[in-house]
Amino acid sequence: MARPLEVSTGSKLEMIQRVLRRSPTTDSDTGTESDSAVAVRLEGVTHSYGSAGGQLRTDRDRTVTALRDVTLECQAGDIVGLKGPSGSGKSTILHAIAGLLVPADGTVELLGTDLTSVTDRDRTRLRRRHVGIVFQRFHLLSSLSARANVALPLVQAGVPRSTRRDRAETLLEEVGLEDRTDHLPGELSGGECQRVAIARALATDPDVVVADEPTGELDTATGSDVLELLTDVGRERAVVLASHDDDTLAVADRVITLRDGAVISDGV
Amino acid sequence: MGSDGDANRRSRWRGLTGLSLVRVWNRATRTGPRRTVATVGAVALTIALLVIVTGVALALAGGVTSDTDADVRIAPEESSTLASIDGVEEPRFGDSSHRAAEIRSQEGVEHASPVLVELGRLETADGSDQHSVLLVGVVPDDERRTVAGLPTDGLEPGDPHYANGSYDGPPTGDIVLSSAAARQLEANEGDELEVPAAHLEGGSPHLSRTVTAVDDGPDSSVPIALVHLSELQTFTGSGDGELADEILVWGEEEAAHSAATDAYPHGSVDSAGGDDPSAVFDDGLAFATGLLALIVGVTICASFVATTAGMTVNEDRRTLAILESVGVPTRGRLAIVAVSTLATTVCGALIGAALGLVGIRLVNAVSGAAVAVDGVAASHPLLVPYAVAVALVAALIAVPYPLAVAARTSALEEVGQ
Repeated sequence: MARPLEVSTGSKLEMIQRVLRRSPTTDSDTGTESDSAVAVRLEGVTHSYGSAGGQLRTDRDRTVTALRDVTLECQAGDIVGLKGPSGSGKSTILHAIAGLLVPADGTVELLGTDLTSVTDRDRTRLRRRHVGIVFQRFHLLSSLSARANVALPLVQAGVPRSTRRDRAETLLEEVGLEDRTDHLPGELSGGECQRVAIARALATDPDVVVADEPTGELDTATGSDVLELLTDVGRERAVVLASHDDDTLAVADRVITLRDGAVISDGV
Repeated sequence: MGSDGDANRRSRWRGLTGLSLVRVWNRATRTGPRRTVATVGAVALTIALLVIVTGVALALAGGVTSDTDADVRIAPEESSTLASIDGVEEPRFGDSSHRAAEIRSQEGVEHASPVLVELGRLETADGSDQHSVLLVGVVPDDERRTVAGLPTDGLEPGDPHYANGSYDGPPTGDIVLSSAAARQLEANEGDELEVPAAHLEGGSPHLSRTVTAVDDGPDSSVPIALVHLSELQTFTGSGDGELADEILVWGEEEAAHSAATDAYPHGSVDSAGGDDPSAVFDDGLAFATGLLALIVGVTICASFVATTAGMTVNEDRRTLAILESVGVPTRGRLAIVAVSTLATTVCGALIGAALGLVGIRLVNAVSGAAVAVDGVAASHPLLVPYAVAVALVAALIAVPYPLAVAARTSALEEVGQ
């Protein structure tokens, strides 16, 4: 049973905003100041699945085009919704923004850096520093406590243990789970797991948060709490939210509609 | 800047190592105990088997005559041990009594005694029964010392029959029996035993022995009898060259070492306290047994570790994908897999070493009860680090497989579902 979310009061919000306050959008990887508030820009992005290793005609026949010439951008402070049926390319766009996928064609800019032109290692570093990901199925590590899951991105960042613990506990407190820090994911409800996942996504204070069907596994009330939380923490960062649920997308400032991998409405 | 980077790197690797260990611990105790038990159990059983077989090799190498409280053992080069199963005549010292006397005269040396070991026969006083016995000749002093696991104070101090090399002094006729020898000969303290005339060298007179003590002796069923050196030399014909297999020295270890090295510059001088695992290298059968156990242990352990760790990683693909999605690069993910595999293996090795030591006791108990042979396997504290080292080597051999499985994992395939 999900616990009621208690983060919407004024004082809580202030705390969240204080804790999660971002530094100016300086790209420490490239050393250049971002020229505008554009956090994410996709331009002419096309991608197909099943086209990579196929030598035979039958392999080409199985190719699925996930994205077709997709162009979109998201500014800091925006909550952009991606709408469309299953297979429309929503998740593929999120994966491209997170640098988990390099599209076959087009460019994906994250804070002014083209992710398609950097190495795997640099993409991983950029993801760690600038992108927080919230999955539909939470994807927490089952053998780590809630606190350790939240602190996970900070381990690779080289943050000392005590600082990691403090940061994780603060974030868990902000998402209303201060009494669940030592619980394993298996001991938490779905809503609590998703709140842990959101806290983890915010651990490195990212500039961009991508959320793939964040309420897909939750009941309506819990989903509403999670959306409120995402909205609160996303005030000063770019949030890209994929869902086929209109209620979920209602929190977005702008909704981009996709069908068969193409943008049919950019919501402007 | 550089020191900040180093601190950062140290903190990162400490964090990744801690993360791996916490995962292993939580999995073993909370989230997936069965899988962990399977891996740890497989390693533990393999290592336990290795420890038991190595214990057998140690027992083979140690022999029954090596059980002594002497501080230093001098043996002819290329022959530092006296294995009871060794059928090959090994080099011996000559002029041993004279040299031992020289060593005894050195400051810091309490006592030195040549030791001669011969396989002989003893018969009961009524001549009704004969049995083979390992006869050990020593020169006792007035202190209670242990040679071949038996106390020397059952023998009259000194070696009167030696008589400064003339071998015409009065024989004492003393003999100390191990309990196994006493059992076979059905002899008790005060009983008479005979050395069969046919067994004596050069038509020596029929020798009568008086059992002066029966002691539990070494942890072995091998029948052993302790006699005065010169008397053994006389009835085995070793007296002409004053032959001995080794010389044992008691006293301050440093002084004993120094005196031993001075007397026998070309001899092998070793500390004699306890079982010496290095003796395994000097005994062909023991070495072969230990080596075989090592090869089989490493092979089986590596196979188990590779298989179970590979399966674990395969089931953990999603975990690896999550780590990638939160920005842990390939090197970090592989480090987590490697540390988890090594930690699990070390746990298995420690449990296996403990099981192996218990197994050695069991083997000795069973062999003692079933076939009246105990001391089949010997234990030694070094077996524990040895077992862990072997398991680590096996894990290092095995770890490329789970690493390859981990490296092939695609974050997109796992978290995209």
